[in-house]
Amino acid sequence: MSLGNEFTKGIYAENPVLRLALGLCPALAVSSSMTNAVGMGASTIFVLLMSNMLVSLMRKGVPAKIRIPIYIVVIATFVTVVEMVLAAYFPPLFESLGIFVPLIVVNCIILGRAEAFAGKRAFIPSIIDGLGMGIGFTLALCAIATVREILGNGTWFNLQVTPTGFEPVLLFMLAPGAFITMGAWLGLFNWIDERNAEKEKTKAYMTEFGGEK
Amino acid sequence: MLIVRLSVILMVIASIASGGLALLNKKTAPVIAAYKAEQQAKARLEVAEPVGGVEFREKSLEDGELFWEAFDSDSNLVGYVGMAYGKGYSSTIETVCGFDTEFRITGLKIIYQQETPGLGTKAVEVKKGETKPWFLKQFMKKLAANLAVTKDRGEIDSITGATITSRAITKSIKGVGLRIKDKVKVIDEVAVKKNESITHEPEPDNPYMKKEFKEIAE
Amino acid sequence: MDFGNLFVIAVGSILINNFVLMRFLGICPYIGVSKKLDSAVGMGMAVIFVMTLASFATWIIYRYLLHPVTGIWGVDLTFLRTIAFILVIASLVQFVEMMIQKLAPALYSALGIFLPLITTNCAVLGVAVLNIDDNLNLVESIVNGIAAGIGFTIALILMAGIRERLELANIPKPLQGIPIAFIMAGLMAIAFLGFSGLSVG
Repeated sequence: MSLGNEFTKGIYAENPVLRLALGLCPALAVSSSMTNAVGMGASTIFVLLMSNMLVSLMRKGVPAKIRIPIYIVVIATFVTVVEMVLAAYFPPLFESLGIFVPLIVVNCIILGRAEAFAGKRAFIPSIIDGLGMGIGFTLALCAIATVREILGNGTWFNLQVTPTGFEPVLLFMLAPGAFITMGAWLGLFNWIDERNAEKEKTKAYMTEFGGEK
Repeated sequence: MLIVRLSVILMVIASIASGGLALLNKKTAPVIAAYKAEQQAKARLEVAEPVGGVEFREKSLEDGELFWEAFDSDSNLVGYVGMAYGKGYSSTIETVCGFDTEFRITGLKIIYQQETPGLGTKAVEVKKGETKPWFLKQFMKKLAANLAVTKDRGEIDSITGATITSRAITKSIKGVGLRIKDKVKVIDEVAVKKNESITHEPEPDNPYMKKEFKEIAE
Repeated sequence: MDFGNLFVIAVGSILINNFVLMRFLGICPYIGVSKKLDSAVGMGMAVIFVMTLASFATWIIYRYLLHPVTGIWGVDLTFLRTIAFILVIASLVQFVEMMIQKLAPALYSALGIFLPLITTNCAVLGVAVLNIDDNLNLVESIVNGIAAGIGFTIALILMAGIRERLELANIPKPLQGIPIAFIMAGLMAIAFLGFSGLSVG
């Protein structure tokens, strides 16, 4: 697989949230506003990138039996770094992400990438993979947050975007709205896939029978 | 032997990680503490502003809870500031509360809350053209001892759909007001006893005589 | 002992702030293991068990090893909370797995396959962190752990019951599987919102 592919697969084809259904807790919990979504996305990208890099560098020295505990220590360390930096320099963001900052540790995307990719692959591809997956995660968060913030609060990045007559649908800010928005996005992706697959099929059919171009 | 070797490796990695974090912690911990202190100091000034409190002296209750005596620019005791912690729907709401010497509310400022967006967070919502949250405005000049939401037969209108939040804030403010009042009363009684031999008696309708207070405070 | 307070904590974690439907903790196993009713029950039991133990262990560790005042070192090590907790939970899960395998093979065959999944269940770490953030004492923490596990199990079993029936329903193709599960979860969350009017204490 080329490096370009390693990067783009995380964003669309293997998007961790919308395709692989990983990292769902933060995707639902902190997607009530764009600010939170971007803050969480950036924190996760940092942890994912650093852990992928370190795990890839250590991959030859790590005994197979204790690789998982080692990965967990590495990830937890970087999560704590994020926790401290956010608390010290971005306190409002830290407060609104709340308990989900320490919970980046158990975001299955990060341990998943360490185990499935970085633990076996070279340094550069691991960086690219981490970046792609992290950005894919962030975009998925933004997709959910856009729907929820606009419909639920009438704002986007705290800026009023809906006309004055629009009464926000509070439900989208609450827990049910998160689940339903997530379901709708997953459904949309499935639908696009299905349509593409059908197109492919028609195309294959056409070439097989040497039909018109 | 293998187990020993693996444990040693794990130990080494964990200690490197903790060491690094300790270094970073040394750098960030003071920044975090300074931010919190600054936020509280700002809030104290804001809530004591209506009675002209500009200087604060830290005091503590028996259980170590902190409160502040507020003094105006002529160093007269004008009120008290306390921290109220109310367990709301999804967070512990921290409110800085200002009281005058009769324990009427002079100002309130919520410095931390993570309530439900659109419901509980209305507690800090400011209406257009106003400067203070409308929910907290109704507390102004009310006696701390009488605070209660309308559902509990009080005068504070709850936020629609967020009774838990409204109640938590109201109860916590009342609680801290009464605790400081009790403490102050104790000090005052001691002061009265000490001064019994002196003919100058405190006026009955104003038990918090400024003079005695300053003596105790010093 | 204040039983009223414990009751408030328990009802809060089971219904009002249900871990899955209100706090968004443990969503991955919630979606992943809710296809069949019996595996949902097994997972739920394993989670209750581990959460209770984890609440106990992390509370002790925080108080006596990390806390600056009550800790035995007298140094502020609270910044190591995340690392310490996740390591405790990971080793606890491993330990529980070995113990059950040795002592109760029948139980192991029922819960065994779910145990490794629990390490990355954020509800377990979540309850440990919340216990500390909410300043709960040891008994309250344990009650909170049990209640959070029960809340998780209730949501999981309800979901599994619904999904077993959904197998037979005629659902638009793009929504089949996980998407419809999320929409169902949304509807369940609306129902659980009703509990937020519940006033205890």
